[in-house]
Amino acid sequence: MKRLHMSYEKKKGLYGYGFIALWFVGALMFFIVPLLQSFYYSFHTVTPETGYLDIKPLMETLSDGTQKSNIFLNYKDAFMKDPSFRKYLVEALKDMALNLPVIVVFSLFVAIVINQKFRGRTFARAVFFLPVIVATGPVYAIITGDLQTGGNSEAAQFSTMFEADMVDQLLEFIGIYGFGTKFTELLTEITSDILNLVWKCGIQIIIFLSALQGIPTSAKEAAAIEGATAWEFFWKITLPYISPMILVNIVYTVIDAFTDPTNQVMERLLSVQSEWKYGYSAAMAWSYFGIILLALGIIFAIMNKLVWYDD
Amino acid sequence: MSALTKRKAKKEAEATLSEVKLTRREKRERFKKRLECLTPEEQRYLKRKQFMEAVWPIFRGLIVFGLCFIILYPLIFMISTAFRPSSDMNDPTIMWIPKHLTLSNLKQVIKAMNFGKTLSNTLVLNIGCSLVQVATCAITGYGFARYQFKGKKILFFVVIMMILVPPQIILIPQYMFFRYFNPFWVYNAITGKYINLINTAVTMYLPALTANGLRAGLFIFLFRQSFRGLPKELEDAAALDGCSPFTTFVRVMVPNAGSTFLTVFLFSVVWYWNDYYVSTSFFTENETIALTLKNLSTNIKVLIFGDANAQVNTREIIVWMEAACLISITPILILYVCLQKYFTEGIARSGLTGM
Repeated sequence: MKRLHMSYEKKKGLYGYGFIALWFVGALMFFIVPLLQSFYYSFHTVTPETGYLDIKPLMETLSDGTQKSNIFLNYKDAFMKDPSFRKYLVEALKDMALNLPVIVVFSLFVAIVINQKFRGRTFARAVFFLPVIVATGPVYAIITGDLQTGGNSEAAQFSTMFEADMVDQLLEFIGIYGFGTKFTELLTEITSDILNLVWKCGIQIIIFLSALQGIPTSAKEAAAIEGATAWEFFWKITLPYISPMILVNIVYTVIDAFTDPTNQVMERLLSVQSEWKYGYSAAMAWSYFGIILLALGIIFAIMNKLVWYDD
Repeated sequence: MSALTKRKAKKEAEATLSEVKLTRREKRERFKKRLECLTPEEQRYLKRKQFMEAVWPIFRGLIVFGLCFIILYPLIFMISTAFRPSSDMNDPTIMWIPKHLTLSNLKQVIKAMNFGKTLSNTLVLNIGCSLVQVATCAITGYGFARYQFKGKKILFFVVIMMILVPPQIILIPQYMFFRYFNPFWVYNAITGKYINLINTAVTMYLPALTANGLRAGLFIFLFRQSFRGLPKELEDAAALDGCSPFTTFVRVMVPNAGSTFLTVFLFSVVWYWNDYYVSTSFFTENETIALTLKNLSTNIKVLIFGDANAQVNTREIIVWMEAACLISITPILILYVCLQKYFTEGIARSGLTGM
């Protein structure tokens, strides 16, 4: 009888394959192959026929009427011809650049506040995490929509009630008109933003909270003995210790915004998909994905120098 | 008996403490005296500290209260509107508390959503998928956490990609996979046919069964982190006692990672509950809560205005929509309130910090 000669290491490795085998088969079926397929589609015209997808090479019609094959045509069309794709893309990136610091700073602030000891903090923590439970579903779309039709009109009633206030009268007397409406506009803009902001921060707050609790007591005590003010404590103790988690939160926020099916680029993509232009939509999706990966790479490169690891 | 005496002793101790407790003026005087023997810098520091300690709690209270209100605002609005008749929506004197309380919205919505059947449908699908998914993700996560094998880095990179890649990118190939399902890639060659899996529960269960369900990448990652945090000696001991790797996993590792299992299960339930993206693509004919909510405005129009194409202002059907939202999130809200600790602590503890 022949015996298998295998080192312990090798045997263990085989068991490792055994543990991940199920996932690997699934990933092959539901992730890797579809991903490669969609990458392949993005360089072709793909139209659905009964029973199969009709995949043809891309032909570009030149100005003199001749046809020439151009495998990058989908990408070219997405950026050059599409009426809204480029605009939405720029807007999405701009939004992200604006929202990212706000979300990170805000969730850090909230985490620091609810990390302190006060009465009702368990309740506060539960409330701050609540959006994570509700916000991913259709309920969120309905309530934000309803607040716009129901809530804001209440706010409008509110502002008409206060439109004749004395401050406005005084300002108009001095020569500044329309201050009240501008002010309420600004106010409603900020409040609607705050709702979205707070509803987007649940996970980030929890991640920061656990990072804050990971700051060693020795560091806190040392700072207290040296007489550090809360301000100094934040900059010299808190920030360095939680800096790895800032990076994690940035990555999480970017991915969260990017995979959100309600963002405009995604909506455009889905509408192209519903027009049966699969190749074109795949090209859009891949260019969007590429840009986000690039953005993440840049953020990573910059942040990695600033992050401090406690080794 | 001993408890009683203990309590008595505690009370007495408290009484003596309160005697020692100083009045405010005495305290201030003591503080002044203490200040006099310090340098001006130290004095400033102490004064500022005292001031901050007095003012900060008020600020903190305001901030926390305000933010909690903002978060809860939609929910308060939901409760406030769900119990009022539609006519009350146009009454400018009503802000929060309706004049006429009514349950008819809820009743009508329950009928429009076919709530009993929808709920049981959703629960079966949710809990089934989540249980399967938790088990498979745990096995995969364990494999990544404790075994060294060739290509591990690349395979783990695939897991990370599963978190990063939005499902929209791979939607169409996946759809084709389910529409023209070809078991073991040879079924078609033998029979010349495909199996159409669209609109069957297989489209939900099969990915879950192979650790590729909703947000499976994240779950695998969480399990890997938490298994990595357990001491290696546990497995060595089990191996010495003659356990095979899989028995070790089931008997030793799983009981030690109980809270991670619960966390992942809860999140899985919540995300399956909320999901409408995947189910609208592959499993439209199933009535789940998220799907019925998506199509609710049409159903309400049929039921209440008698016509699916009725031109109805959103404001007019708000009360029904909010009532529907309310009954749809109540089950997961209850789950959340009861097991709040596992939602938050799970995320905090599953070792995201140990990245």
